[in-house]
Amino acid sequence: MTVFRRVALITGASRGLGYTLAEFLARQGWALIVTARDDGALRAARERLQVTGALIDAVQGDVTDDRHRRALVEVAKRLGRLDLLVNNASELGASPLPPLGEYPLDVLRRVLEVNVVAPLALIQSCLPLLKASRGLVVNISSDAARGGYPGWGAYGCSKAALDLASKTLANELREAGVGVVAVDPGDLRTNMQQDAYPGQDISDRPLPEVTLPFWAWLEGQDPIRITGQRFEAQAAVWEVPV
Amino acid sequence: MNRAELTFEQPRGLFASVPPEIERGSRDQVRLLVTTPRGHVHARFADLPRFLSAGDLLVVNESAMLPASLSALGPSGPFTLNLSTRYAADLWLAEPRWDPARPGPMPIHPGDEALVAGMTVRFVAAYPGIPRLWFVRPDGPLEAILDREGSPIHYGYVPKVWPLEAYQSLFSRVPGSAEMPSAARPITPEIRRDLEDAGIRFAGIVLHSGVSSLEIEADTVERQAVYPEPFEVAEATARLVNRTRARGHRVLAVGTTVVRALESAWTPEGLRARQGFTRLFVHPGTSVRAVDGLLTGFHDPVTSHLAMLASLLGLPRVMEAYREAVANGYRWHEFGDSHLILRT
Repeated sequence: MTVFRRVALITGASRGLGYTLAEFLARQGWALIVTARDDGALRAARERLQVTGALIDAVQGDVTDDRHRRALVEVAKRLGRLDLLVNNASELGASPLPPLGEYPLDVLRRVLEVNVVAPLALIQSCLPLLKASRGLVVNISSDAARGGYPGWGAYGCSKAALDLASKTLANELREAGVGVVAVDPGDLRTNMQQDAYPGQDISDRPLPEVTLPFWAWLEGQDPIRITGQRFEAQAAVWEVPV
Repeated sequence: MNRAELTFEQPRGLFASVPPEIERGSRDQVRLLVTTPRGHVHARFADLPRFLSAGDLLVVNESAMLPASLSALGPSGPFTLNLSTRYAADLWLAEPRWDPARPGPMPIHPGDEALVAGMTVRFVAAYPGIPRLWFVRPDGPLEAILDREGSPIHYGYVPKVWPLEAYQSLFSRVPGSAEMPSAARPITPEIRRDLEDAGIRFAGIVLHSGVSSLEIEADTVERQAVYPEPFEVAEATARLVNRTRARGHRVLAVGTTVVRALESAWTPEGLRARQGFTRLFVHPGTSVRAVDGLLTGFHDPVTSHLAMLASLLGLPRVMEAYREAVANGYRWHEFGDSHLILRT
C-alpha cells in the first residue's frame, strides 16, 4: 500500500465549484477521489484532472446510495489516508423554485436526503480515516440557509440543517482531532444557479475560480483552530477565532 | 467611482530612489504635507507632534519585510519571482516578472515549473481577476531559503538594492511583508520620544503587505479585484482604540495597511480583536469608522490607496493635496515624503 501525502474526497466534482476545487488541489499534487452522478461528465473531469499528473480516482454514483458511499470509502482506505472530505454534491430541488406552500413533498424529501442525510452518512463512514489523518470536513452551504428567500425554502432548509450538523459535529469531533466547517461559496455562475433561474442571464455571477483564494487560505489553517466556523468564500474577511 | 477620477500628472523626477538617511543623514529628513478639511500646511516630518494632541493614538504596522524577491529559472529562461503572501507552508501567492523593472504577465500555464534555489516551484493557478499573480507550490519550505537567497523586492525606480534594514521601521517585529509598510519609516527613536512626551500613545497591529497593486484596471473602481492579506488586531490594541475614541481623542493610522486592518476588525460595538485574511477594499463607497486620520506616503495615480484616501477626506480635497504636492516637489514611494491626513 502506498501512502499518499494528502488525499481529498470531493463529491459533485464533475463540474462547477467541485471541479474547480478538485483541479486546484490536483495541481498541488493532492491525490483525489472524485464522484458525480453524470458518468460522461465525470469521465471528462477525470481526464482533465489527470493532465495535472495527480492520482485521480473517479467513482460514478449517487451519494444517497449506501453502496456508492462504501465504494468511495474503500478507495480512500486503499490510498491510506483522508485529509479532506468536501460534501459539495447538492440537490437544488424543483426548478423553477416553487414556494414552500406548494412544494412537492417527494422532492423536499429528496433534497433533504442529498443535502443532509448523505453528507452525514459519508462523514460517518469516513470517520476512522479522518481521525487517523486529523483531517477536515468541509460542508458546502449557501446563503439560502439564512436568507428566507422566497422559493429557496426547501434548499435553504436543507443547508440550514447541514450548517447545524457541521457545528454539532465540530463540537463532537474536536477531541478526536477532526475539524468540521461550513462554507458558503457565494453566488457563482454554475449549472445549479442556472437551474434556479431558468432562462435568465446569470453572467453577472463570478465563475467558481473566484473562490480559489479562499481554498488556498483554508489549506493553511489548522483544522482544529477553525472547527465549527462557517465561512463565506467571497467575504471581505476570513477569520480565525482569536 | 470612475477610475479616471483617480488620475493626476505625476512627474517621474519626483520618485525617491535613495533612502533619506543616505542622502541627508537621517530617516526623518523628509517633508510632511498636512491636509485637513481646512486646507494644506507644508512642514518637516520632525514637526509631526505639532499637528497631534495629547491623548491621540498612533496605530503602527508591526509587520517586518521579508527578502521576498528570488531569482528563478523557467522554461523560457531566467526571471524574477516575487513572493507576495504565504497561504500555507507550501502554497504562496507570487508575482513572476521578467525582471525587477519589467512586470508580467509572463506566458505561464498551470503546471509549469521553475527552479528556485534548488527547489522546484510549480505554478498552480493564476489569481482570479489578477492574471499577473500566481499561486505557486514549492516542493520545500521557501521561508527557509529567503535569508540566504532572497533580496528585498525593488522596482525599476530604485536602481540599487538597499539592505533589508533600509526597509524596516522602528516598529517592524513580525516578518511577513513582501513590501515595506513604509509610513512609519521616518519615525526615529527621537521622534517617537517627542511624540510620547507630548502625550501621544502608540499601539500596533500586524498586516503582512503583499506586492504592490498596480493601476486599477476596472472602469468602476469598486469592481477592481483586490487580493487578501494576513492581519491581526490584538485585544490590547482593540481596547486602546476604543478607549481613545470614547475619550474624544483621535485614532490615527500609520499607513494604509493599518486602515485596512482596523476597518476589518470594526464591529457596531467598536473595535474587537480579530485575525485572519482581509481583502477589505476601503473606497469612497464604504464608510471609514475606526480611524480619524492617516499618516502615509504619496501614492501612484489610479491605485486603491488613492481610493482609500478619498474615503477619508473626499476626493476633491485629496486631488487638491496631490496637486499641491506635485507643485511643491514632494517625493513619491517608500523613501519619499510623508502626508498627514486629518479628518477633523
